[in-house]
Parts: sequence; C-alpha cells; structure tokens
Amino acid sequence: MATPTHEGTAPASTGGLPQFDPQWWPGQIFWFLVIFLFIYVMMKVFFVPKIGGAIEARDAKIDGDIAQARKLKDEADAQAAAALADMAKARAASQKLASDARAAAQADVAAKLAVEEEKLNVSTQAAEQRIRAARDSAMGNVKTIAADTAGVIVAKLTGQAASKGEIDAALAGRA
Amino acid sequence: MPAIEPMHQFLIHKLVGLPPVMLGGHAYDLSITNSVAMMLFAALVICALLGSASKGAIVPGRIQSLGESLFDLIDGTLVTPIIGHNGKPYIPFVFTIFMLVLVMNMMGVLLAFGHVGGQDWTFTPTAQLAVTATLAVLTFVSVLVIGFVKNGLGMYKLFWPSGMPLGMKFVMAPIEMISFFVRPLTLSMRLFGNMLGGHVVMNIFASFVVALGLVGLSGGLATLGLLGSAASLAMVIALTVLELVVAGLQAFVFAALATVYLNEVVNLGHGH
Repeated sequence: MATPTHEGTAPASTGGLPQFDPQWWPGQIFWFLVIFLFIYVMMKVFFVPKIGGAIEARDAKIDGDIAQARKLKDEADAQAAAALADMAKARAASQKLASDARAAAQADVAAKLAVEEEKLNVSTQAAEQRIRAARDSAMGNVKTIAADTAGVIVAKLTGQAASKGEIDAALAGRA
Repeated sequence: MPAIEPMHQFLIHKLVGLPPVMLGGHAYDLSITNSVAMMLFAALVICALLGSASKGAIVPGRIQSLGESLFDLIDGTLVTPIIGHNGKPYIPFVFTIFMLVLVMNMMGVLLAFGHVGGQDWTFTPTAQLAVTATLAVLTFVSVLVIGFVKNGLGMYKLFWPSGMPLGMKFVMAPIEMISFFVRPLTLSMRLFGNMLGGHVVMNIFASFVVALGLVGLSGGLATLGLLGSAASLAMVIALTVLELVVAGLQAFVFAALATVYLNEVVNLGHGH
C-alpha cells in the first residue's frame, strides 16, 4: 500500500472505493455547484446567444443569398425572353421589308416592261403600216408596168397598139 | 514489482487548504482538492473553447466550427426535436450539463497530464460519485422546479397516466412515481459507473504492461512475459479509443435524459 504522502490519502487506502469517503464530499459538491452556476451564467448571457446567433445569422444569410440569386435568375430569364421576342419581331420586320422590296421591284419591272411593250407595239404597228403602204404602192406600180409592157408586146406582135381599155380588161382577168 | 492499485487514481487530496465552514454545528471542509482543481480546469477549458467559438463569423474557423457542432448537437439533435420550439430557454441548461460532463469525462483520456510536480494530474471528476450525484440531483431538482413553475399543482398528471381504465391508473401511478423519483440515482450511477469501470480496467491493463514487461526482462522462459506485456499495451490503446467513445456518449446520454425529463414537465398533458 502506498505511504500516505498527503493528508487524506490514508483513510481511502484502507479499503473500499475512495469515492465513498465522505470527507471530500462537501468540497466537491460546493465547488461543483459554483462551477455549474458560473458555466450556466456564461452560457445564458454569452455563449448560447453568440453561437446560436451566428448559426441563425448564417442560415438567414444563406437563405437571403439564395432568394436573391433566384430573383436575379428570374430577372435574367425575363430579359432573355424579352430579347428573344425582340429578335423574333426584328426578324419578322426584316422579312417583311425584304418581301416588300421584292414586290416593289417586281411591280416596277412589270410597269417598265409594259411601257416598253407598248412602245414596241406602237412602232411595230407603224412599221407594218409602212410596209403595207409600200407593198400597195409597189403592187400599183407592177400593174402599170404590166399594162405598159402588155401594150408594147401587143404593139410589137400585132403591129397595132391595143387600147388602154382592152389591156385593163385583160389585166383584171389576170390579177 | 509495483503493486497494482487501480483505485489509487481516484484518491483525493488537498491542494489548497481553506478554513472549514461551520454550518448547523458541523464543520465542512471546502478546500481546493485535486478533484476541485480539475473541475476548475474543466471550466477554464469550456470557457476557452466556447469563448473562441463565439466569434460569430459567417464563415467559421476550426474552433468556431467545433463549438457550433457541439451547440448544434444540443440544439438541433436534442432540445428542438424533443421539446419543440418552446425548448429554446432550456438550451443553456442542457448545454451546460453536456459541456461539463463531456470535458470532465475527457480529462481522464484527452487532457491527461500524468505525474507533474509531485501530483497526479490525470483525474476524472466524473468518476467521483459526489460530482455525478450533485449533477443528477441538480438536474432532478431543476426539472421539479420548472415543472411546478410551469404547471403548478397540475404536476400530478406526471403520475396519473391518461387514456387507460381507472383500475390500471391506480396500478400505474406508483410505478410512474417510483420511476420518477429513482431518476437522480440512475443518472448519477450510470455516469459514475461508466467512468469508474473504464478507468479501472485501463489502469489494470496498463499495470500489466509494466509488470509483465519486468517479468520478461528476467530472462529464460519468463521472456514470454514480454508478449503478454505487448498484448496488454495493445489492449490499453484499444481501451483508450473505447474510453473516448464512452466519454462522449455518456455526456450525450446525460444531456439527452435531462432533455427528455425537461420535455415531460414543459409539455405536460400536451401529448407531445
């Protein structure tokens, strides 16, 4: 058995659990209660509000950040949708512009074509008239030449000139 | 060969003598003993840990994370799920119990300083029946006081079960009463027994390391003693891990039971 180096060790060493030695109970009970009260007060006024507050503040901040991020995302989505709508509108406008321009150009071309055709028709008709007149006059000349020639031929063959009436009657039967 | 004295570690001796306090004709010695010194040291450790965990930073550091994990263990795992939202006022009480028991339990394992300056500084205050009994009675009395403040004489409902035939109520009431009033005993003995048993077993195996090692050094067939010494050392290492688990678990169990007892009186008759 250990030699008692401090007062109080001797009775505990004589057997049984040292914890059942009543000599040291009042001091342990008193100081434990003092320490418990001290820690409890520290917890109540300082540690629990501080640590619990930090956890709550963090949760609130995370919730707030997520809410703001969600809001920003909604805004971005709305802007993207608006941009998409603008783009569709612009595309429709440009398509309309292009088709309008095409139609205008086609109308212009058609109008010019009509004018040119009209001019062409007029000049064609004029030319046709001229041709007809030239032919008619040419045909008239041919009759005169034929009558002259026939008169000369008759004179040569018969030795006497045919009258103009006879030649005309003969030509009318040929023409 | 050194004598194996597994109870030696629980011996209490005076460090700072104080004059005895006279009360009702009895002299009470309130001197600072090694047990009290280690309790004060535990209080210092708690204040240092939670003090540096109270920075309140949005992005916590290591100590703050540790402190907040311990806090969340009490708030998020015990008090709020068991008592509900009207349990908030009791968080400091349960957290105090938890931290004190946890740090005092750990003193024999993590905060073991060994033999310094002619004193053994490896001492577990929660392996002292005086300490566990005080804490158990304190918890019990707090629950009683809170119960009477909250419910007044409605406290009788605690022993008068609802929803069963009248005959059964008369049978159940004494059982409920016994189970209620035996709580300080079970609370104190559970913690005390766990700490005491583990430390005794560890001490015995640690003694075997030295004793069998000395036998083994004497040569001859006794050299086999070195094997036993190594096996004992392995056992001590395994027991140290086990003791760490037990130390944390018993602190949690004590806090959980305190919360359950508080819930019974706070939500009395609410069928919570």
